[in-house]
Amino acid sequence: MTETVLQTLGLTKYYGSTLALDHMNLQIPQGCICGFVGRNGAGKTTAIKLMLGLLRPTAGSSRLLGCDSQQLEPAIRQRIGYVTEGHRLFRWMSINELEKFQRAFFPKQWDDKFFADMIEYFGLPKKRKIKHLSNGERAQVSLALALAPNPELLIMDDPTLGLDAAIRRQFLEGMIELIMREGRTVLFSSHILGDVERVSDRIAVIDKGVLRANCSLEEFRAAVKKVIFSFTDSPPAEVDIDGLLHCRRSDKEVELILVGTADEQIAEWAKSNGAEKHQILQMNLEDQFIEYTAPANHRRLFRWEEK
Amino acid sequence: MALWIQISSGSGQPIYTQVAEQISEAIAKSELASGDKLPAVRKLAAELVINPNTVARAYTRLEQAGLVITKTGSGTFVSDPKLRKSDAADINVLTERMDNLITRGLNLGLEGQDLITMFKDRLTKFVKKQMGKKK
Repeated sequence: MTETVLQTLGLTKYYGSTLALDHMNLQIPQGCICGFVGRNGAGKTTAIKLMLGLLRPTAGSSRLLGCDSQQLEPAIRQRIGYVTEGHRLFRWMSINELEKFQRAFFPKQWDDKFFADMIEYFGLPKKRKIKHLSNGERAQVSLALALAPNPELLIMDDPTLGLDAAIRRQFLEGMIELIMREGRTVLFSSHILGDVERVSDRIAVIDKGVLRANCSLEEFRAAVKKVIFSFTDSPPAEVDIDGLLHCRRSDKEVELILVGTADEQIAEWAKSNGAEKHQILQMNLEDQFIEYTAPANHRRLFRWEEK
Repeated sequence: MALWIQISSGSGQPIYTQVAEQISEAIAKSELASGDKLPAVRKLAAELVINPNTVARAYTRLEQAGLVITKTGSGTFVSDPKLRKSDAADINVLTERMDNLITRGLNLGLEGQDLITMFKDRLTKFVKKQMGKKK
């Protein structure tokens, strides 16, 4: 039986009268990498801070490794790694000092050699102060600090924001490396859907504070489809089909974005509405995400009109 | 054994099918011969920087297609082509794909003979290598 290492129940947060997180029920089973995606301001960071007990929820609860997030004891915290957005580290410390400082929080399981090897691989001088490192170098230190305690659960808030392709890849490698160890689990938020697709086996999609998907990546990839129906005459005025998310029409075509609609159902709809032919397109994850989180009746920002 | 698998993460094609198809092609071209061992799931995952479950899924797919067999405890191996069975459904899929290609070719204005020449030419790309390797 797979254990649930992270679970939130009706987790809700208001900032004043602004609803930032709305009854989030998220479960993450042990052993997976879960990509946490949502547009800017969707509530990812709020959700992560609530999970870690860094914010108090307005309602609801969350549990990490079976322990209430608001009452995480040091013994539990030692099994959890957290990488903050922007890799905020103490600027006045050297890499050496920061390692010593961080190690103190994970006395049992800190891997000195692993940390030293990573810093050497990155080519970073251990005596250099954090404030003299570039953004990318600071991110590399942060990655080494996150992996050295061999955390059972690693939570990273947009760890690859603003990083170059090579350093981003190092973060992905780091996640794969961790997940190969027995019983490790990763939750990371990101805007780079290609990265999420590459390393995740689960995906959680949040939109305006509401968790809209929490499933295997494969399920999500298979569920969101674009179908183009061609008609000899004008297409039907009303479109009614299960799972309809968006509908765009032109003279002779209807383009539908569907969620979880079976191919047979699509063929059936085409037949009963007199479509001449229809084509189910394989969307990439980024397009799926954009369509899935787009408001109803949304249009393109710019549209080419024939004069 | 070197596997030249390229992952394209922005593509419409799921990553596990990308892996499965590139291994299938290597088998068809005899770059991977019967009895060859595929890399361990975790090793390939680490090399390609993709989730190990994705690799496992790709291997399952190849196994379902009869191209590889998994021996518990020792790994995944390319199967013996003589023992692969193709049923009517497989042949149907193949016929359908060929029809699709023929349609495209004819619509491009190619003659039937051109298509046959092209087909033979492409086929040698796969079969020649097979001959070369057996010597």
